[in-house]
Amino acid sequence: MTTALSTSLSLLGPELILAVGAVALLMIGVFSAEQRANRLVTGLSVAVLVAALLWMWFYGRDGYAFGGAIIQDAFGRFMKSLALIGSAVTLFMSVGFAKSERFDKFEFPVLIVLCTLGMMLMITANDMLGLYLGLELQSLAIYVLAAFNRDSLRSTEAGLKYFVLGALSSGMLLYGISLVYGYTGHTGFQEIALALNGSERQLGLVFGLVFVLAGLAFKISAVPFHMWTPDVYEGAPTPITAFMAAAPKMAAMALTVRVTMEAFAPIAPDWQQIIVFISIASMLLGSFAAIGQRNIKRLMAYSSIGHMGFALVGLAANSETGVRGVVLYMAIYLAMTLGTFAVILAMRRKEGNVENIDDLAGLSTTHPLMALVLTIMMFSLAGIPPLAGFWAKWYVFLAAINSGLYALSVIGVLASVVGAFYYLRLIKIMWFDEPVGSFVPVAGELRVVLAVSAAFTLLYVLIGGPLGNMAEAAAMSFF
Amino acid sequence: MNSETMLMMLIALPFAGACLAALFPPNARNAETWAAALVTLGAVVLSASLFPAVATGTPVRLNIEWLPTLGLSFSLRMDGFAWLFSMLVTCIGFLVVIYSRYYMSPDDAIPRFYAFFLAFMGAMLGIILSGNLILLVVFWELTSIISFMLIGYWYQKADARDGARMSLTITGVGGLGLLAGVLLIGHIVGSYDLDAVLDSGDLIRSHPLYVPAICLVLLGAFTKSAQFPFHFWLPNAMAAPTPVSAFLHSATMVKAGVFLMARLWPVLGGTYEWFWLTGFAGAASLLLGAYFAIFQRDIKGLLAYSTISHLGLITLLLSLGSPLGAVAAIFHMMNHATFKASLFMAAGIIDHESGTRDMQKLGGLFKLMPYTATLAMVASAAMAGVPLLNGFLSKEMFFAEAIETHADSILDTAAPYVAVIASAFAVTYSIRFIHAVFFGERPADLPREPHEPPFLMRLPIQLLVLACLVIGIIPAITVGSFLHIAVVSVLGADTPAYSLAVWHGLTVPLGMSVIALIGGALLYVLLRHYLAHCEEGPPYFRRLKGQRIFERVLVFVSWRFARLVEATLGTRRMQQQLRLLVAVSLVAAAIPFYNSNFGLGLFELGQIDIPFALLWVIGIACAVGAAHQAKFHRLVALILLGGAGVVTCITFVWLSAPDLAVTQLLVEIVTAVLILLGLRWLPKRWEDTELGRAPISTKLRRGRDLLVAAVAGLGMTLLSYAVMTRPSPDTISGFFLRKAYEEGGGRNVVNVILVDFRGFDTFGEITVLGIVALTVFALFRRFRPAPDTIESPEQQRIQAATDEERSDRITGQTVSDYLLVPSVIMQWLFPVIIVFAAYLFLRGHDLPGGGFAAGVAMSAAFILQYLAAGTVWVEDRLRILPVNWIGLGLLIAGCVGIGSWVFGYPFLTSYSQYIDLPVIGEIPAATAILFDLGVFSLVVGATVLMLIVFAHQSIRRLRAAKISTTTIEEVA
Repeated sequence: MTTALSTSLSLLGPELILAVGAVALLMIGVFSAEQRANRLVTGLSVAVLVAALLWMWFYGRDGYAFGGAIIQDAFGRFMKSLALIGSAVTLFMSVGFAKSERFDKFEFPVLIVLCTLGMMLMITANDMLGLYLGLELQSLAIYVLAAFNRDSLRSTEAGLKYFVLGALSSGMLLYGISLVYGYTGHTGFQEIALALNGSERQLGLVFGLVFVLAGLAFKISAVPFHMWTPDVYEGAPTPITAFMAAAPKMAAMALTVRVTMEAFAPIAPDWQQIIVFISIASMLLGSFAAIGQRNIKRLMAYSSIGHMGFALVGLAANSETGVRGVVLYMAIYLAMTLGTFAVILAMRRKEGNVENIDDLAGLSTTHPLMALVLTIMMFSLAGIPPLAGFWAKWYVFLAAINSGLYALSVIGVLASVVGAFYYLRLIKIMWFDEPVGSFVPVAGELRVVLAVSAAFTLLYVLIGGPLGNMAEAAAMSFF
Repeated sequence: MNSETMLMMLIALPFAGACLAALFPPNARNAETWAAALVTLGAVVLSASLFPAVATGTPVRLNIEWLPTLGLSFSLRMDGFAWLFSMLVTCIGFLVVIYSRYYMSPDDAIPRFYAFFLAFMGAMLGIILSGNLILLVVFWELTSIISFMLIGYWYQKADARDGARMSLTITGVGGLGLLAGVLLIGHIVGSYDLDAVLDSGDLIRSHPLYVPAICLVLLGAFTKSAQFPFHFWLPNAMAAPTPVSAFLHSATMVKAGVFLMARLWPVLGGTYEWFWLTGFAGAASLLLGAYFAIFQRDIKGLLAYSTISHLGLITLLLSLGSPLGAVAAIFHMMNHATFKASLFMAAGIIDHESGTRDMQKLGGLFKLMPYTATLAMVASAAMAGVPLLNGFLSKEMFFAEAIETHADSILDTAAPYVAVIASAFAVTYSIRFIHAVFFGERPADLPREPHEPPFLMRLPIQLLVLACLVIGIIPAITVGSFLHIAVVSVLGADTPAYSLAVWHGLTVPLGMSVIALIGGALLYVLLRHYLAHCEEGPPYFRRLKGQRIFERVLVFVSWRFARLVEATLGTRRMQQQLRLLVAVSLVAAAIPFYNSNFGLGLFELGQIDIPFALLWVIGIACAVGAAHQAKFHRLVALILLGGAGVVTCITFVWLSAPDLAVTQLLVEIVTAVLILLGLRWLPKRWEDTELGRAPISTKLRRGRDLLVAAVAGLGMTLLSYAVMTRPSPDTISGFFLRKAYEEGGGRNVVNVILVDFRGFDTFGEITVLGIVALTVFALFRRFRPAPDTIESPEQQRIQAATDEERSDRITGQTVSDYLLVPSVIMQWLFPVIIVFAAYLFLRGHDLPGGGFAAGVAMSAAFILQYLAAGTVWVEDRLRILPVNWIGLGLLIAGCVGIGSWVFGYPFLTSYSQYIDLPVIGEIPAATAILFDLGVFSLVVGATVLMLIVFAHQSIRRLRAAKISTTTIEEVA
């Protein structure tokens, strides 16, 4: 082995841990007794994810690997931490659900690990090809995961729908990549930026940009590529919905940021227009369409569409503050999403899990703590100070105003008003409506997630400083 | 203890008290009250003891680094104005806590009440003491949330829930507006620090963003202070327990809006825009609030509208832009808080003792509760602006300001009249309150027998009324110095000379007061009988309720509009989702086309090669036909698609790319056959396929789909054309063309790229292909065809029927002889194709062909056998084990790659040499050809495996009849 190869591999520690881990876990799953396989593999998968996280925190170095196709930097580490935490927590939360809903197949954790590997590659990609490979690895795993409950019509429909639409969007992305390559002669992000810097703007390149962004917008479920989100969120088994709402969004957003800030930096005005449009459309649609929802998973789908719109406000600013805003937004969004889905997973009656918003009626009398946590989450998602969600919005709007995007900020604030409305409706249902029967006691692992996410959301004002510093370091990767 | 610590404690104490209060058991009413009273009293003492530090003229400050990256610090700042307000908040808070002990019933959840109450006090102090605008917004929203909880305290009641939700919606929206405004101010100034902002008045006023900034800030202030047109939430919030109303809706929360306006008055005020915005809202609130208050039946409703009116007065004073107006505004904030809090508490006592707040039911209570009645009368007189009471003083100042001219306009001219009329109305509703409740006939049917409340319940009112009197009679001695430091801290050097005295001589304002008092009293006499029997709400305006409009809007936005959005933009049908995706891509691609003024730059007609153009016409026709037929006849569509593919192949040949053409052709054939096999198992169409019978909507839909397909195709064509006719930069193809022979040892550049330059990629790709084949196999192994496809195809049934009809034929004979001649030919062709594949394989290095092409050609041989002889016949004779071929292929390719390690080269380095073999002649013998062999083997294995799996489906139903003995497992 050459030294270049070993240097490259040593930079890829966390990714290698996941890759080797996934293969090993598959074998462990196949060769262990059927009734124990899921528990064992789930536990080990969480361990693998945590190991990758720790490796990254303690041994992570900056640098380029494989001739610049892979980049390790502070931004990547921050976003990968989020993705890993998101995956590990959703796996952790799924244990009780898996047991009670006959969901305990060991392929599930393995697929999650593989999907996470895809996300890590997406975040570290410094090259269009690496980007595409990571994206596909992640997407393919999710296609399978969405259809994981094969006996459920809704689940298989969700998987199929996501696959067909996802394949189409991947095709567009790939087409865009080839156009970009055709015009710049490069696939590496820095090289593309260099080539763009020297030459005048070309038509084909704009097409390439449009298609690349369309493909990426699909992955972060931004309007107008959002159609799949509510259906797939609703159809997929709840732990998988939680997973899809959390970790892959981190990776896709990181990728979008890196592509725009790095590769297409010289043609920023072009992509800023697109991002502003996507952002406004997502914020508005996410807010308005969520109001009429009765199913809480569908509601969260629209909520996530809206939140991606808010996060993109930061990106549209095209500044260091903006990137920091996006990064922090995603971190806070992750905590809020995980907390909310922990509640959704805990919405369990003797007959099984329920998903309707009306099932939450009178939660404050039947499960006061759960109601309190969900209230905190909803207030935070609505962006009401001093909870974390407020700061998330604050960071991105600040960036937008500093970059002179006043219209975008005003529309964003209006959209968050509408958004606040349906979050408050949920609170009203929990606190003011008559109870309609109670849920079974909340599982231990869910309690942990509930407590931690609620604490994070509540106490963000205290830890916001250090986290902000980290995010700033992450954002500085591009400047 | 230094003043910074005291400041911190002042903020922290109520929140700590709130946490403590939440921990008490539900029935510990007394202990709870003691604790809350201690906490509030502590806050009073803390604020009071900060006076010496504040009185020096420099604000007390506390700075803690908070989010330093954003320039945010947790900074508290107390100047004279803030001190005055914090005294107001803590003192009234303390009094209300004592009052609540007797007001709340033992059944109520006391811990919740006091916890929220104290937290609210903390949040309110936060607004007052914030030294940073962002911190202020945070506390601002916190008061909205806690007031939501307090208004909805009796959540069993529908009006409490509605009122709570409405107030949160309105004030929350305002808070977000304020946040946006603060962001703008921070953007203009470059800092959110209050001192920095207060120092940059000129900068802000001259900035182009000034107008949006004040609009947003005022949106926050108006919603919070219930100013027209956002006033309607306050009367609805009266569903809250009365102590909450006394605290939130008289002294504190509603004052936050005017507090902020006064706070930012030096930097934002004084402009024409400011004058119009605040002047209009203030005048409208002043007049309408007073007018509406006259016609309320509910005492608290009357007080709520009166609050709106008085806050309007303050807003109007702040709009004028004169320092004297600001002085009057600050003075009136204090005065209003004192008399209104005592009136609310009195209303609570009346409600508590008599069981109703309806003024038409009440009457004659003076005899039953003389002390309370007297107190209420004094407080109402202060509200009406009767001399010798505090309300009179600030009202005089207001009149004096109203007659001055500040900004020449209609509003300014109208101000004195508005002031007098509103004051007259204030007199009317004050008299109505006193007269209707305490005098007249004592009704017989009161829910409870009224009597004087406990002493401690009355004590808070007594203290507040005493304050009204003392301030009203000797203002300069009692509050003069406090008011002065507050005014100086807001106005700084601009502080005007003003006099706090009851008697200023016979002035115009005094005359206005007299007119208002007499006019108001006369109006009451006129209206008395009407008011005793009227409906709730003022005449004519009754129908135009802000609340109704609000609810209509809410319902529209939250249900109708949201559903409309979902119905038009959201769909669960995948076809529509796909259509949208394609449409959006079309638009997204069309915009740059349009923007770049792209000219197609068509060839001149003479340049076109006619046969080639005709070929393309056929290809295009095939493609469009396929798009058209896809809805009606899948088989036809597939064949047409094949036609388009063939045209593409010919194009490749035409343009001198034979290697591409060969690969393309073979791929076309194999995929067409695989799709054909798959089509067999698709369910039949539901709809009638005959064109004539389809309803018009179906036709339209199909037409639209055809159009979408055609436009998308056209778009792709244009795009490709645009891309191909633009000059492209130097790409990597030149490199490959140069190096293919000298470094890869082959002339077929595509093949050299595949097996040598990008050998690693190819290795990955064939691995994927193998995995795909195995996956297809695994999926289909357990596949059971849909019930409607299990029966024999129509043709076979017809043939079988023919057999049965004729006696000389055995059933199944015709089918078994199906395509006899072609099948014999195809069987004979089998070895020929194998040789052809071998030929393709060997020449691949230099000429069109290669492992991939050879593999696909070889699979075509198998496909032909299936087509000709049928599944059973082929499976009986099939001797190749596809899985082994796949494995072998991977193994060979991998070994070749690893082999180069043995010689010390990187993975997959190739070595090339030509060998002269007998009979065959010179063949290239690069190690790459071994790698190619692996590719070939894998492609054959993968294709045949998939073929077997698909084809075997056709005999699935036969297996049930035990015709076939060969199962797929044995074959594999």
